[in-house]
Amino acid sequence: MREPSTCRRWAIPAVDGNQVFDTRCRRGTLGGVPTTLEPTEVIDPDLSDDVSVDRPWIVIVWNDPVNLMSYVTFVFQKLFGYSLEKATALMLDVHEKGRAVVASGGREEAEMHVFRLHEHSLWATMEQES
Amino acid sequence: MIGRRREFVGPIEAVDGGWQVNLDVEERNLLVRLMGELRALLTGPGDNELLTRLFPQAYTDDEEKEAEYQRLMREELVASRLEAIERVETAIAPERTRLLDEEETLAFMQSLNAVRLVLGTMLGISDDDPEGDLEGDDGSSGDSPEHHLYDFLSWLLEWTVRSLSPA
Repeated sequence: MREPSTCRRWAIPAVDGNQVFDTRCRRGTLGGVPTTLEPTEVIDPDLSDDVSVDRPWIVIVWNDPVNLMSYVTFVFQKLFGYSLEKATALMLDVHEKGRAVVASGGREEAEMHVFRLHEHSLWATMEQES
Repeated sequence: MIGRRREFVGPIEAVDGGWQVNLDVEERNLLVRLMGELRALLTGPGDNELLTRLFPQAYTDDEEKEAEYQRLMREELVASRLEAIERVETAIAPERTRLLDEEETLAFMQSLNAVRLVLGTMLGISDDDPEGDLEGDDGSSGDSPEHHLYDFLSWLLEWTVRSLSPA
């Protein structure tokens, strides 16, 4: 039997930012508006996943005993285009507070920042903003 | 003024048309040798502890994502470092007379720092001693050849960063 024409694919955001499709069929419509759902096919969206998808990733640089302050400042300027003042302030945060958030954004963007910081031998990690 | 000496400009300086390296043959040979040692380390066993600081973790709270990051990026990171080493070897070779371009100077800065990190790991440097000022630095307070080398590289790196920074 063919699926009724109201059978649709519903996009549900997944944890990794992609979408999965729920092929629930809506049984019975009223003017195109579904009136019933097959109970066994209902998938409740995981709200916590939805929230985690939206939370930006932050790139953190940690203090380490080897990298020179001038070098760290220069790398922040070069990689992120920060002014000397901003780059210096971030470097001092790293030095005095032990860490500083130097950038934020989507996961891929954050990962690229981390990679470039690693290329310059800075101790950088990323995590989702809490 | 008669007898006035030219002002000391440091081991590397920005000049019209590029960067001038003011190192003698012995210093250049030393740096070329260090680049070779860094390459050997990077192309050797990946679990060498001396490499720890060159390949930091990206995800500290997610083992799965960390494994994926290392799988995808480590090789690329090694390739990028090897490319920089090759560029530096050409740029600072004793026979080199041409000025360095910006890409070479940046590669020099990155590779110098990579060697410092390896040496720092080797020497177990753990005190926060980030000054590395140009007047001399007692911070690492060691007297071994490795400590002297570390201080020399810190001095050279400081000047390189200075030469690259906008006035």
